[in-house]
Order: sequence, then structure tokens, then C-alpha cells
Amino acid sequence: MSDAQAEGKAADEAAKNPPPYRTQPESPAIVSLVGVGKTFFRGKEPVKVLDGLDLDVPEGSFEALMGPSGSGKSTLLNLIAGLDRPTRGKITVAGTDLTNASDRTLAKWRSQNIGFIFQAYNLMPVLTALQNVELPLLLTSLGGAERKKRAQTALRVVGLEDRMHHYPRQLSGGQEQRVAIARAIVNDPKIIVADEPTGDLDRQSADDILTLLEKLNKELKKTIFMVTHDPAASERASVQRRLDKGRLK
Amino acid sequence: MNLPLLAARNVLRNKVRTGLTVLGVAVALLAFMTLRTVLSAWTQAEEFSQKDRMAVRSKISWVVLLPKKYVQEVKDMAGVQAVTWANWFGGRDPKHKQEFFANLAVDPESALQVYDEFIVSAEQKQAWVGDRQGAIVGDVLARKMGWKLGSKVTLTGGVYPFDMEFNISAIYTATRRGADRNQFMFHWAYLNEKLSSERQNRVGWLIVRTKPGVVSAEMSKRIDDHFKSSGMPTLSQSELELNRSFLAAFTAILTAINVVSIVILAIMALILGNTIAMGVRERTGEYGVLRAIGFLPRHVLAFIVGESLVVGIMGGGLALLLGYPLINMGMGRWLEENMGGLFPVFGITTATATAAMVLAVVLAAIAAAWPAWRASQLKVVDALRRVG
Ligand SMILES: Nc1ncnc2c1ncn2[C@@H]1O[C@H](COP(=O)(O)OP(=O)(O)OP(=O)(O)O)[C@@H](O)[C@H]1O
Ligand SMILES: [Mg+2]
Repeated sequence: MSDAQAEGKAADEAAKNPPPYRTQPESPAIVSLVGVGKTFFRGKEPVKVLDGLDLDVPEGSFEALMGPSGSGKSTLLNLIAGLDRPTRGKITVAGTDLTNASDRTLAKWRSQNIGFIFQAYNLMPVLTALQNVELPLLLTSLGGAERKKRAQTALRVVGLEDRMHHYPRQLSGGQEQRVAIARAIVNDPKIIVADEPTGDLDRQSADDILTLLEKLNKELKKTIFMVTHDPAASERASVQRRLDKGRLK
Repeated sequence: MNLPLLAARNVLRNKVRTGLTVLGVAVALLAFMTLRTVLSAWTQAEEFSQKDRMAVRSKISWVVLLPKKYVQEVKDMAGVQAVTWANWFGGRDPKHKQEFFANLAVDPESALQVYDEFIVSAEQKQAWVGDRQGAIVGDVLARKMGWKLGSKVTLTGGVYPFDMEFNISAIYTATRRGADRNQFMFHWAYLNEKLSSERQNRVGWLIVRTKPGVVSAEMSKRIDDHFKSSGMPTLSQSELELNRSFLAAFTAILTAINVVSIVILAIMALILGNTIAMGVRERTGEYGVLRAIGFLPRHVLAFIVGESLVVGIMGGGLALLLGYPLINMGMGRWLEENMGGLFPVFGITTATATAAMVLAVVLAAIAAAWPAWRASQLKVVDALRRVG
């Protein structure tokens, strides 16, 4: 597939699923992968996980990625989030070419552009909800009072202002994941990546999390890229994609 | 909230493990400080020796006696302030067979002049000088043996083949540390009269006090030169020199102590390193999250080393907290009283305390270096895969 074809396809899809707030359907892709391949080595043996993959994610969309276990969903997500570099191809996200960026550049870029939500909520158990949310801001030049204010705001967005001083072990799974979401948005990133954010939750909590992600997408205009095994979760996204045998369908 | 706070909180995460590690570090540092204190006390003994005092003995050996007339000859030499003499009786109290203590036949008047660091009340001194069978004993020895003023004590002879009976007529203390408060001294004349005529009037050694300003090395040379061509040449050494030659005999022990303290520190670093490595392994996923958020390898490194430093500092603090009462009050007091000659001041010096604390910090950093480096160099995606 050529670049032009890829762009055309992305535009088609964007037109099919216009996010409600968007005034310009043909807004440019915020994530763009061209001919991306990723090969791991298990010892000396190469394991080709992604192979010649093209992807465009328009700004402001909420996309779900499904696929069998081991198909490379997390690998793809990590590439988009600038956690890893591709073996082949080109990746541009939020206007930055990540393909050959240094570790240092990627780290700084992530802190400004990406919010992370993981399956296991990944909060620091020794910090309160508020302190966990404040964590990414330690990398900024913001003062303590301002950091605290922003962390409080983020917790208010996820509806946990009354749990700010609770430790993770004092929260339910759903609440912990909401704290993780607050941590993901506290930097006001353009993109949120979520790897099976509801994987460990019961139906009700999962629905609450998905409603929250929808809200972030619609109200805060965050582009969301979510890996999930749950068809119900996938339904809540505006675009559904499938990864199988290293290729997107 | 800041990173040091996070490091400190992490330390308290596994309280039992951290507690045991802190205790391990503290015990190791305590052992280190004890050994260091032995070394410093030992070297300090030198400074506490009386520099204007020297012993004159037979050149052949301590056990070869000198003619009593040497006392007068030395007294007549220029630069000499006072001379006294002593014989080693080597007796033991049959009621306390295990207790070893110095018992010396001395000349009461001149002995108290030369050993002016011994304090004794005027009446007791009077009583001792006036009683031919009188003995003066150090307060530490008296306490240990249960002797009171007026106690009757029999010593069975060691060097001499007879027993002697004494009245405890005086008990002395000392003005300065380093003075031996474990001695038993009695009238030389009382011993002398018990000897057969051909063994009479001989003394074990002389103790010479020089006049102010006299260089002891020159004085001892003058004394030895004086007796060189007599039938019984002498060897004179200042107290300082005596202590030095005594310490020299122990260099092997001192070296061993040094080696042991280094080994102890190495063990401490291993204990600490192990705890840190365990914690790092368990929290790899968390470091992965921090890195994903945008923290750099050096943050992770500083974070882990910081944790180790907190443990090291807590261990060092605990060691100092325990060390002062244990080493200074307990062990130190006992050693000063019972082995005052060797350990005049047995206590943690500022240098030792500082060294312990600095080493706790430095070793904590070294112990954490390898696990911290490994964790910081881990690829983010690999660290994240170890979640859960
Ligand atoms: N760092 C790595 N080193 C070696 N192999 C890897 C590495 N990361 C992923 N893989 C391999 O790549 C393949 C895809 O892994 P990935 O985690 O992306 O799958 P996934 O689709 O997210 O699976 P799941 O649904 O189980 O999370 C797997 O076979 C995995 O073993
Ligand atoms: Mg996965």
C-alpha cells in the first residue's frame, strides 16, 4: 500500500466515524504509521511481530484495537506511545518523527504528549491518590502548589475528589483505575493510550471506566487508542480495528 | 510530593525487611566502631604515659635485680628530681586465686612522690607509712577483692618462696585516666628483712622522675653510661618508650583488627545490596511505569541509590545511638578501670563516629550501585512486561 492510499483510507474511515464535536472531518492524522515492522529476538531466533503495518489515527478519535493474544497489540501500542522503536518503517505521532528519536528525546516527548493507562493500575502503593496523580508533574517546572492544584483538578474530572488522600490499597479496582486515568490526563497530553484498561475489572466498573474515556474523548478532545479483549469495550470506541498475524484489518 | 519522599516511603514499604537490614547495618557498624575504638584507645595510651618518668632496669632482663646503692647514685645525678624503686613480689591472694594483680614492694615516701597521680588522704598515707605491714591498694582492686581499710590480707609468694601478711592501710584513686588503679604496694623494707643476707638490698628496678626541661632520651643515656662499666649495666626507658615497645609487640593483633573491620564492612555492604536488589526486582514494573511517564534512567538510578542511602543512614544512626551507651558507658568504663594502662580512655572518638557514618553512606551508595544501574538501563517495554 502506498502512502497516498494509506492516507486515503484513513480519511475514509474518519469520514465514516465522525467524532461529534469535530467540525472538520478531514482533520489530519495525529498518529501515522507507514510500513512499520517490529521483530523481536528470542535468543538468536527472530520473531516477526508486526509486518509492514500502515495506520492513521485522526486527531480526536477514540479507537479500539482487538486481536488474539500474542498478535502484537501491546507492541503496536508501545510503538505509538514512543516506548519502543520500530525495526522498519516510519512512525509520526503528534507531529514528531519517533522512528529514530533518542531515548532521551522519547522520554521528554512522552511526558508531554502521552497519557498512559495500563491493565494493572500501576499506582505507587506508597503514595496517596493525589500524590500518584502529581507524579508526572514532577518532571515539569511547575511549583508544588500548582502541581497539587492540577492533580486535584484531574481527580475531580474522574470523580474522585473525595478520595484524594486514600492510598491505592484503600480504593476499589475501578477507583484505582480512575486514579490512573487522572494521572494520564494531568499533563494534558494529546493522546491517551490504554492497554486493556478494563481487563481486571467487573462489568460495572469497566462500564464506568469506558464512560470516563468517552468523556475524555468528547469533552477534553483527547485522542484515545485502546487495546482490549472485550467486545463490549470495543463497541464504545468510535473506530474498531483488528490485528491479526502482524497485520491490521 | 517529591522524589526523595517517594524513595523514603519505599524504604518503609516492607517494614520487617527494612528493619532487619537496618539492624544488620547497625550491628556491623557497631562492631566496626568497637574495633576502631580499641585501636584508637590503644594508640592513645601513649599520650597518657608520663613523659618525665623513666624506668631503669638491668640491661639483661627485668628479672635480674640491681644493687640498692644504684638508687643513691642516680639520685645524685644532675637532672633527677626523685627516685624510687620497686620489687615484683608476684604474690596471689589464696581467696582469689584467679585474680591477677600487680603487687610491688616499694619505698612508701619516695613512691608517692614519683607516682604523684595517686591520690590518698593524709591520714591514710600516714597510716600506711607508719605500719611496716601496711599496704596501699587501688580503689578498683579493693572493690574487686572486697578489701576495706583494716582488712588483713595474706599473699602467697610467687617470685619469693614465702607468704606475707598485710594490713590494708590506705586506698588510692587517681587524678588522671591511664593511671593503674589495680596495684597493691607494700613496704620494701618489710620484704627485704625477710630475705637471707646474701639476697638482701637488691631492687627490681628504679623509677626516676626527671626535672622539668630534661630530655628523657638524654637522661636515660646518661644513666646507662654511668653504669656501663660497673658489673651490672642498666637499660633506661621512658614510660612513653616502654608503652611503645609494648604496643609494637601487638602490631600483628592491630593488623588483624584492621582486617576484621574491613571484612565486617564488606558484609554490611552485601546485606544492604541484597535487600536493595530484592526490592528492585519486585518493583521493576513500577520503574517501568515511571520511565513510561517520562522519568529518565538517572531518575531511577537516583531513586534506588536514595533508598539505599536512607537505609544506610538509619543503620548508621542506630549504630551511634547504641554505640555510645554500649561502648563508652559499658565496655569503656570496665576497660578503663581494669586495663587502664592499655586503655586509658576507651570511648568512641569523633573520628570513629564520623568514619562510621561516612562509611554507612558510602557503602550504601556502593551497595546500591549495581542493582540501580541494572534497573535504570532496563528497556521501558521490558520493565513494563514485568507488571503484576
Ligand atoms: N520484548 C520482547 N522480547 C521478545 N519478544 C517479545 C517482546 N515483546 C513482545 N514479544 C513477543 O511479541 C508477541 C506479541 O506480543 P504482544 O505483547 O504485543 O502481544 P499482545 O497482542 O499484546 O498479547 P496479549 O493480548 O496477550 O496482551 C508475543 O509473541 C511476544 O512474546
Ligand atoms: Mg498485550
